[in-house]
Amino acid sequence: MNKIAYSAFIAFVASLFTLVSVNALSGSDRETVEDFDLESITMEELAEHGSAESCWKAIHGRVYDITDYVPDHPTEEEVLLEWCGRESTEGWDNKRPGVPHSPRAEAMLERYLIGRLVDDTAEPLEPGAGEPAGAVVERQAGEATSPAQDERLARALLGLPLDGHYRGAFTDRGSIQVNVTFDLRDGHIESLAYRHLAYRGVDYLALEEGDELYPVMLQHRQIAERLEGAPVTRIFALYEPESLVDDIDGYSGATLRGAKVISAIRDALNRGVYAWP
Amino acid sequence: MLRLPRLGDSALIVVLLLPLAVALPRLGGLSGPPELWLTWVGRVTGILGLAMMLLAGLVSCRVPGFDRPFGGLARLWRLHHWLGFAAFILIMVHVLALGLAAVPASLDAAVATLFPPPSQGAIWLGWLAWVAMVVFLAPTFDFFGKPHYQRWKRLHLVSAVALLFGLWHALLLAGEAWPWWLLGIAGLGAIAWRKGVAPQRRHPYRIEQVVSLARGVVELVLRPEGSGIRHAVGQFVYLTPLDERLAAGRGEEHPYTIASAPSDSRLRIGIKDLGDASHALQTVMPETRVLIEGPYGEFFERRFPQRDMLWLGGGIGITPFVAGARNLGAGSVPDVHVHLFYLANNPDRAYYRQEFCEIAARVEGFAYTQHYHRDHGPLTEAFLREHRPDFAEREIYLCGPPGMNAYLQRLLIEQGIPAARIHSEVFDFL
Repeated sequence: MNKIAYSAFIAFVASLFTLVSVNALSGSDRETVEDFDLESITMEELAEHGSAESCWKAIHGRVYDITDYVPDHPTEEEVLLEWCGRESTEGWDNKRPGVPHSPRAEAMLERYLIGRLVDDTAEPLEPGAGEPAGAVVERQAGEATSPAQDERLARALLGLPLDGHYRGAFTDRGSIQVNVTFDLRDGHIESLAYRHLAYRGVDYLALEEGDELYPVMLQHRQIAERLEGAPVTRIFALYEPESLVDDIDGYSGATLRGAKVISAIRDALNRGVYAWP
Repeated sequence: MLRLPRLGDSALIVVLLLPLAVALPRLGGLSGPPELWLTWVGRVTGILGLAMMLLAGLVSCRVPGFDRPFGGLARLWRLHHWLGFAAFILIMVHVLALGLAAVPASLDAAVATLFPPPSQGAIWLGWLAWVAMVVFLAPTFDFFGKPHYQRWKRLHLVSAVALLFGLWHALLLAGEAWPWWLLGIAGLGAIAWRKGVAPQRRHPYRIEQVVSLARGVVELVLRPEGSGIRHAVGQFVYLTPLDERLAAGRGEEHPYTIASAPSDSRLRIGIKDLGDASHALQTVMPETRVLIEGPYGEFFERRFPQRDMLWLGGGIGITPFVAGARNLGAGSVPDVHVHLFYLANNPDRAYYRQEFCEIAARVEGFAYTQHYHRDHGPLTEAFLREHRPDFAEREIYLCGPPGMNAYLQRLLIEQGIPAARIHSEVFDFL
């Protein structure tokens, strides 16, 4: 018995040592996938894969197609499928309350990586997995004085636009989503209107009261109203749409994308005066 | 003949399997690709390993009477030893299986599974438990030579640390915590009892007389200061002498068999000079105090109560039979016939001979045969048959030096006597 215990002990320590050393000697050739190599996937696209037939999950800003793994997962399928087509980081970090998935599960998950989660403006929704935590903190510190709060910074960003009539557009994936027109008088916005407002084939300007997406149209109209007579630097307030619009979750909880309107207005300013007053 | 397992064993198996039974439905099956069945093996061995560790702790409680459903303290101690051994092996299988289960994912994942970032404290608690386990088991399994008894005993207390870390590790990772709370409280509670409460509850006795039986053998006659203990024939106690003039072993506890009948108002203990502590006791001063803890053991456990008994005793191993004979001599009526063979080298070393002769003459159901190695050589089947023709049909109890024990076991097994009918209680390293 003593000999067996001693032999098992030595064999155990030797096995561990072998595993660690083999890994140390061969581990360097493993590459991690960089964010920019990944296909961009929006929340809407993600939501289309919410069943056992096709189960995508967004975890820490990346999207995984785990359809093939679902039958092998030890947890009941029902629980697992609940998270399909959704942002599932919370479920991943809490296998049981407070217990994250293991490093092994993490490695297995990487095999099912298919893309990164982005918002409608193609901006990542969460820092990439490869981004060091320090960078996130730095960026947050930089955002503490956003153009929305700092008039001088806003002026510096916009230069000194001349008074006149302006037109500009925000385009994504080959189609115009926002097209605006406005006048500048003494650096103040007047007559802001949408020439075009559409997303995924829906023409928002043609919507009528009672339509499902009508509240989104109202949000945009409210933006135009609130910016009327405001200094041009006020557009940066749209980075925080709640400061301009009453209801930012007009449509099924989706947050208003004020950035698209900023983009269209800045596009107009960049193009220069469209017509002199 | 199929006999039911002992009550204690059955209870132990039920408790041992409890955490596994509770967790099993969640663990999936032992099928599928290697990473899945290796994970299953890793978890099952982990659960069983920790349960065994905690039960090893539980059975070490040494509460008088607790050992009897297990067939006596010596057997319980062997169970404790086996549980500890199995736990040690299983826990290493647990670690390796879970590490290997991650290899199909990647080597990085395998190493990260076993040595995760410090934030995953639960895994590191498991490692701490393992390190503590190596510390207290290394001397037990003679990794680095045989340790000094008292130092081994102190080092063995590290087991409490191992249990604590192991339990914490499991509570953080297990799906269902309640079986672990149950076993954890039982295991750690037993150690706390053993080391904290039990020493306060020893019974004080005063040495009334030190009777010299032969060179290197004395019988201590102890008078209880309080109510004393109540014992059965063949049981033993832990004795802690407090005589300040003792050269060794003062305040240390050692096991000794009780040689007096249960009805005797005095506790008589035969002690042979076998080590430092028992050597010092040969000259212990009368009227000094000793502390007694017990009684323990189940030497005269009856598994075939209808059969007559054969007692084979030699050396200081004669003491349980002395207690048995004195019990008969004190008027206890035997329900079966008893025949004692007293094995000694020569008349000088047969120090209880007179008393046996006297009792055998008085008590009808008790026969006694003296066997001298000097005259007859080792005990033979022919000698036994000559003095007790039906010896192979009896339930047999033997006690003596290890060499004699092994020799007699072999002799009896060769006669076709089933091992279940041969009782022997060896307490080495108790």
